[in-house]
Amino acid sequence: MTQATPDAIRLDSVSKSFRLDDGNSVTALEGIDLGLREGEFVAVLGPSGCGKSTVLRLIAGLESASTGEVRIEGRAPSQLAAAHRLGVAFQDHALLPWLSVAQNIALPYRVAGTKVDNARVDALIELVGLTGFRDARPSQLSGGMRQRASIARALVLDPDVLLLDEPFGALDAVTRRHMNVELQRIWSTRTLTTLLVTHSVDEAIFLADRIIVMTGRPGRILREVTVPFPRPRDPSVLRTPEFHAMVDELTLALEPEEAAL
Amino acid sequence: MTLRARLHRYGPPVLGVLLFCLAWQLIGAYRLAGMTWPPLTAVLAYLADPAHHQLLGRAAGTTFAAVALGYLTGTGIGLGLALLTRLVRPARAGIDRLVALVHATPAIALAPVFMILMSRETIPVAISALAVTYLIYVAATSGLEATKAAHADLFRTLGARPLTAFWRLELPSALPALASGLKLAVPVSFMGAIVGEWFGASRGLGLLMISAMQNFQIPLLWAAVLLTTLTSLILYGLLGLFEAAVHRRFR
Amino acid sequence: MTRLSQFLARNWAVLLLLALWQGWVSLAGLNSIVLPAPWPVLRDVLSHPALYLANAAQTLATAAAGVAIGLALGALVAVAAWASRLLAGMLTPLGLIFSSVPVVALIPILARLLGYDISTVVAIVAVSAFFPTFVFVGAGLKDLPRGADDLFGVLGASRAARLRHLVLPATVPNLMIALRITVPEGVLAAILAEFLMGRSGLGFMFREAASRFAMERALGTSLVVTVAAVLCFSLAHRAERVVRTRWS
Repeated sequence: MTQATPDAIRLDSVSKSFRLDDGNSVTALEGIDLGLREGEFVAVLGPSGCGKSTVLRLIAGLESASTGEVRIEGRAPSQLAAAHRLGVAFQDHALLPWLSVAQNIALPYRVAGTKVDNARVDALIELVGLTGFRDARPSQLSGGMRQRASIARALVLDPDVLLLDEPFGALDAVTRRHMNVELQRIWSTRTLTTLLVTHSVDEAIFLADRIIVMTGRPGRILREVTVPFPRPRDPSVLRTPEFHAMVDELTLALEPEEAAL
Repeated sequence: MTLRARLHRYGPPVLGVLLFCLAWQLIGAYRLAGMTWPPLTAVLAYLADPAHHQLLGRAAGTTFAAVALGYLTGTGIGLGLALLTRLVRPARAGIDRLVALVHATPAIALAPVFMILMSRETIPVAISALAVTYLIYVAATSGLEATKAAHADLFRTLGARPLTAFWRLELPSALPALASGLKLAVPVSFMGAIVGEWFGASRGLGLLMISAMQNFQIPLLWAAVLLTTLTSLILYGLLGLFEAAVHRRFR
Repeated sequence: MTRLSQFLARNWAVLLLLALWQGWVSLAGLNSIVLPAPWPVLRDVLSHPALYLANAAQTLATAAAGVAIGLALGALVAVAAWASRLLAGMLTPLGLIFSSVPVVALIPILARLLGYDISTVVAIVAVSAFFPTFVFVGAGLKDLPRGADDLFGVLGASRAARLRHLVLPATVPNLMIALRITVPEGVLAAILAEFLMGRSGLGFMFREAASRFAMERALGTSLVVTVAAVLCFSLAHRAERVVRTRWS
């Protein structure tokens, strides 16, 4: 990390605690220091309940830090959202059931109050491989197709920051692998600062430039790993010994924590 | 669906309704329940007889107008109150309490207040509107709370202003619950109008029922009740279809 | 939040209504035949406790008897419908029809059929409670494996065991929902029936007072009716919650 270019996203000694109904509070995150360079793809990897989604929600401006500071391009996260410069794909696809695929993807335009760029919507529908399902409703789509529509919606305004919260968490292994390849292809058409939250080691290595491994209770950063594979990455990289070695290494890094849980 | 499956599914309900009608007819024809239970055909013949159309038509016109006015007024007030609680959240608890209290108050208990405040002809409208208000208020407030957390998160990350989120998210999310409320409000609005007429209206189906009851005009009594319940039932069915369409589209 | 501000947050609208009432009566200088103020109404209730209590007790007893009969019959028929697919298919549409019809319209018919008697009031309440109970308990039983024909064919012991371990647990929570829904309707039906044809009870008391323009008495009856109805309503609500937490 060079000091010359300031980080696009910066978390400085951030902690987050939640107050429970019984009056006690639980610490979800503690002492998180994290920076994402402009155009970098970072994956946050960890077991469920380690607070990795909270990291994403802090950056999305959906939660505020109990201590420490979260800055995006030097400003508060909510300002990025207010400027309609943030794209988020949620674990639950969060498509509106009463809108068609095209209308769902065009929703960010309408929320921003700008004219819908139909050519761009159509181009994205094609990019995510939903041609022919333009006017279908979410209930008529498969799980994988819904996630693709959700990713297209996150990309439509050409955001500065893309946040992916386990977007393929609910999919089966085959579809998930397929979606990873698609996302890799989509992402290589335009690099943008991206944070992916996942519990899948394969997914993190295949997609990210850098991986942050987290442990739970309270959520802390365990280690950082730079992914050496050059871009664009062909699915064949998944079969190389280097890839397997890295998967083993990171799986081991996650394991003691899982054994302790 | 095959004919067999169709028969399996729709056979028993049709049979049930037919048996009900048959039982009504037989009990009436053989006077099993005394002189005050007419056969179904006698009631239908009474309804079909043009000689009674003026009497029934005038009463039905008055009652149905009161029902329509009460339904629309109640829907308007219920929606307005629900919107108010959405706009001014601290007002919610107090309005909840008032609406629940008014609902738990039997219509008859409010009658004296209405008798003082308004003409006897508007009491059916008022009681009908009041009953509808409660249902629509409950449906609309719970509908406005039905927005999914994931959708709310999405709109926040898209930087939606409150008004945008209201129009594009909260309102469509509220429609299924609201459609159910609109359906359930139909019999309630009829009930309100009829009870309202019992407090001294000069015309209407409710009044007709009471006078027929007191004067032993048995076919007229049953005809008035049948006309009221059938109309309510048909409107209920139509709004049920509307509800199903809304649920398909917005859920 | 202090207790007072909590109370105000919950009840401001009710208090506002009472204040408007009192203010309107005072400002317009209405006499008590037109509209008495809140205070004289309350005074009438407090100075004739026996009269109000006796009538309220009668109305509530009538309503309770009717609701109990309606609930029991509704649950019984629902269980019978569960046992037979044909019966269920035949009864369900009728149940839906009658529970989505303005039941008060049936009061004049029942009154004419059964005579102007207190047992008629009970019957009217029972009818108004029967259909929602049938629909709700039936809905609760719908998810159970069908009793089909064996309910009537298999040995008695196993039938009783199935009823006890399968049907009853599925019936009780929905029966409580039915109770919550039918109690206010039952109280209303009882009062309306008394109003139309009764010779005692709160409904009759109200009609009698209104007919001689004793507005304080009429409004006092309204007040007692309201308090009784709200009390029944919240009791039924609480009963439902207690049973639901105990039962599951």
